[in-house]
Amino acid sequence: MVLSLKRGCLLGLLCFTIFAFLGAGDEDARFSTVGHKMMCVCGCNQVLLECNHVGCRYSDRMRGELSSALSRAESDDLVLQSFVQEYGPTVLIAPTNAGFNRVAWIMPYLALVLGLTTVVLVVRAWKLRPLRAHAGAVAPVTGVEFERFREQARKETEV
Amino acid sequence: MTLLLCSLITLAVLFYVFYLPGKLQLGPEKTRLAYLRERKEAVYENLRDLNFEYRAGKFPESDYQSMKSSLEEEAAAILAEIARLERAPEAVRGRKGVRI
Amino acid sequence: MAQIGSFALLLALALSAYSFVAGLLALLRADGRAERLGETARRAGIAAFGVVFLAAVVLVIAAFQDDFSIAYIFHHSNRDLPAPYKFATLWSGQEGSLLFWSLLLSAYGLVLRLRHKTDSRLFAHASVIIAAVQVFFLLLLNFAAHPFAIMQGSLPEDGNGLNPLLQYPEMVIHPPMLYLGYVGFTVPFAFALSALVMRYPGEKWIHITRRWTMVTWGFLTCGVFLGAHWAYSVLGWGGYWGWDPVENASLLPWLTGTAFLHSVMMQEKRGMLKVWNMWLIFATFMLSIFGTFLTRSGVVSSVHAFAQSSIGTWFVVFLTIIFLVCGVFYVMNREHLRSEHKLESLVSRESSFLFNNLLFLVACFAVLWGTLFPILSEWVQGHKITVGPPFFNRVMIPVALLLLLLTAVGPLLCWRKTSIESLKRNFLWPSLGALAIALFLMVTPVSWGPPFAMRPWREISSLYSLMAIALSALVAFTVISEFIRGGRVISHHTGQNLVASMIRLAHRNTRRYGGYIVHFGVIVIIIGFAGAAFNQDREKEMGFGDKMMIGPYTLVCRSYTQEDKPNYGSEWAIIDVFKGDRQIDTLYPERRFFKASQQMNTRPTIHSTANEDLYLVYEGQNEDSGRPIIKAHLNPLVMWIWVGVWIMIAGTVIALIPNAAAAVRVPAPVRVQAEPVGAGD
Repeated sequence: MVLSLKRGCLLGLLCFTIFAFLGAGDEDARFSTVGHKMMCVCGCNQVLLECNHVGCRYSDRMRGELSSALSRAESDDLVLQSFVQEYGPTVLIAPTNAGFNRVAWIMPYLALVLGLTTVVLVVRAWKLRPLRAHAGAVAPVTGVEFERFREQARKETEV
Repeated sequence: MTLLLCSLITLAVLFYVFYLPGKLQLGPEKTRLAYLRERKEAVYENLRDLNFEYRAGKFPESDYQSMKSSLEEEAAAILAEIARLERAPEAVRGRKGVRI
Repeated sequence: MAQIGSFALLLALALSAYSFVAGLLALLRADGRAERLGETARRAGIAAFGVVFLAAVVLVIAAFQDDFSIAYIFHHSNRDLPAPYKFATLWSGQEGSLLFWSLLLSAYGLVLRLRHKTDSRLFAHASVIIAAVQVFFLLLLNFAAHPFAIMQGSLPEDGNGLNPLLQYPEMVIHPPMLYLGYVGFTVPFAFALSALVMRYPGEKWIHITRRWTMVTWGFLTCGVFLGAHWAYSVLGWGGYWGWDPVENASLLPWLTGTAFLHSVMMQEKRGMLKVWNMWLIFATFMLSIFGTFLTRSGVVSSVHAFAQSSIGTWFVVFLTIIFLVCGVFYVMNREHLRSEHKLESLVSRESSFLFNNLLFLVACFAVLWGTLFPILSEWVQGHKITVGPPFFNRVMIPVALLLLLLTAVGPLLCWRKTSIESLKRNFLWPSLGALAIALFLMVTPVSWGPPFAMRPWREISSLYSLMAIALSALVAFTVISEFIRGGRVISHHTGQNLVASMIRLAHRNTRRYGGYIVHFGVIVIIIGFAGAAFNQDREKEMGFGDKMMIGPYTLVCRSYTQEDKPNYGSEWAIIDVFKGDRQIDTLYPERRFFKASQQMNTRPTIHSTANEDLYLVYEGQNEDSGRPIIKAHLNPLVMWIWVGVWIMIAGTVIALIPNAAAAVRVPAPVRVQAEPVGAGD
């Protein structure tokens, strides 16, 4: 039924990606792209470029550093690497695609694939499995009695 | 003052919890018959839904007939047992607990 | 004052412990005195509500009386705090909010215990389970997080004040909503565990808890979205969801709870998935407790987590006990949960529910995984890493799109199996409609701007966007077709017009059609979320008469000023908003300095329309010129999210209304003497 929040947020971020793509090549867009790959380290838990934490001692300095690093024409990866060295690995907003961090990315997809396979297999197994008597089972009826009660059920459930 | 208030609260609570005059008013225990009536309602609900959706044009005739007959079979079996229990309350009363 | 509160908490613990022990003994004993013992247990549970209520009242009175001898009041209130926030002090901090948890639980317990005659034995079991949960929270309150702890040393003149972020009207209702949702899941959990413990015959326990579950789910939904709205209106970064651990904590039980709301229908209607549903509601309850643990133990860092404390261990122990109890009873009584029907086809309503559940659980797992991965990383790699929004967004897209597809497809599939012919009948027109919309969005010229002119072959993001919109359209068409087709049948029978017939249709089966309205609300929300693709922002220092352009708006700084109020001092700008030549609004972005807590806080101001929100933030002052720095965000379609939430709430309320035809259909029960079924042995 309702998956609202996550759907929206992912749309939000995919939109950000679109936004990033639109301005590719542009220096501002590059600042925005790299700046959105980092967190502000002041503890506000916000994306570096979205930290409006009043009086934040970190975000202004970090933005300045980012600007100058980009102007030195370093590659994005190199810039991010230098930030990791300065502020620690938590400065990156999402796990990298290397080493143990790769597990972070793989697991949810693995869960999805394994889950889907399991459901398909389970449905198939259930189709073939004979139904065992359950708690409170009712014995089936036959003959005249069956006809009579079926007629009663039919009458009582007419729309 | 605080002590008095706390004592009063405790007394009131103890009185409410442990003073039980007269016979207790408890709801009925669930019988096999009550269980069957619940099941009947569920199956009837399914049948009504099926009939309604068929009228709304959601299923072709063949799907409808096959689903309907299996639900009616289930309903008939439940109705038959209900009828048996209603006809012979004495017999039921005579038995020692009915496990379902 | 503090002594009365402390005493009330101790008495409540004693009463709950008695309610648990005596209730348990009464269920185990078979002699004539068991009933009376059970009744005292029930009454002790009711009395516990009164006493916890008293403790909460004492805490609120202490807040209003500025009784800073109580440490909790000193830390979370101050003399000049406005009255509504003094009231909200009750849930503003660790100890108070645990007391609030306990109060809500005892209130739910009260209602349950008052309605015990519906099915005395089932309710007695549920009452014992609720008493056990209550004992845990009261133990916490009495021995680990005491809200009436006394300040040591000399009495302070004034309190530390409430966190400025929480001094916002929505904060008065957001936590209660969220807690009502969290705590409310205890009730279906208690009934489910009771049904398992006593091998309860039939599915009536689901029928009894159906409304509880829906109400709880509704509260949690409101709580989650109020949180999003609060974040949007207070945090000032222009967004509403940041995948913060605390936000995630509220989402976890919501996801499993939503899965339960769906799959439980299969048990009610077809007597299937009994084991699954049992574990789903167990998991939902455990996730509610886990969420409470996550926000309070300090294991994850979050902007809105409570202070780090030692109560985490208590929660771990409690969660382990719950898991063991559930596991033991499941192993003992699993035969009772045998299915009544087989699954006949992969293309059926039943399997659509299975897939729906799977996707909700995968989503839940992904959120949990992302939230806890930093801790895992610390164990394995020796250092924490950040798992922020890009991770969640990327992982959730495929799951979300699949769920959206199921939202459209599921309701149109038949129970047992769906033939090709039936698929054709139900999906041809909605699919063609959705396809037409997708094609239209793809062929429109670039000059039309977003959200038109989508080119899915160029970028994956565009493809996802297009799929989300097309699938939303498919959901809308299937919901509409369900209403129209059902309405036509009624109209044919009664001669009423189609609209009246559709209303009558919804009244005949409120849960189904209320559910469709909830689905409709969801897609309205998705449209709102999709708007974020086209967000823009600008930042500028604005002196008198300075202008800033953003989207169709021109902002002109009329003035900027400051003011001193008892609770805070503030600086703000007065910004006139023009669209073309016409002035359409004046906005007052503000920054406040809260005296008691010595903290700064921004107050964004929003001009909201159906098309877009103009969102202004007073970022600060240029120290040299003294002029304010204003950040403007243009956020398209945000209003749709809040409208969608209202539609969801309306759908939930409709689903709670009893079916119109039910009173007519149900035949009067015949009074027959019969032996009780063998429940409880």
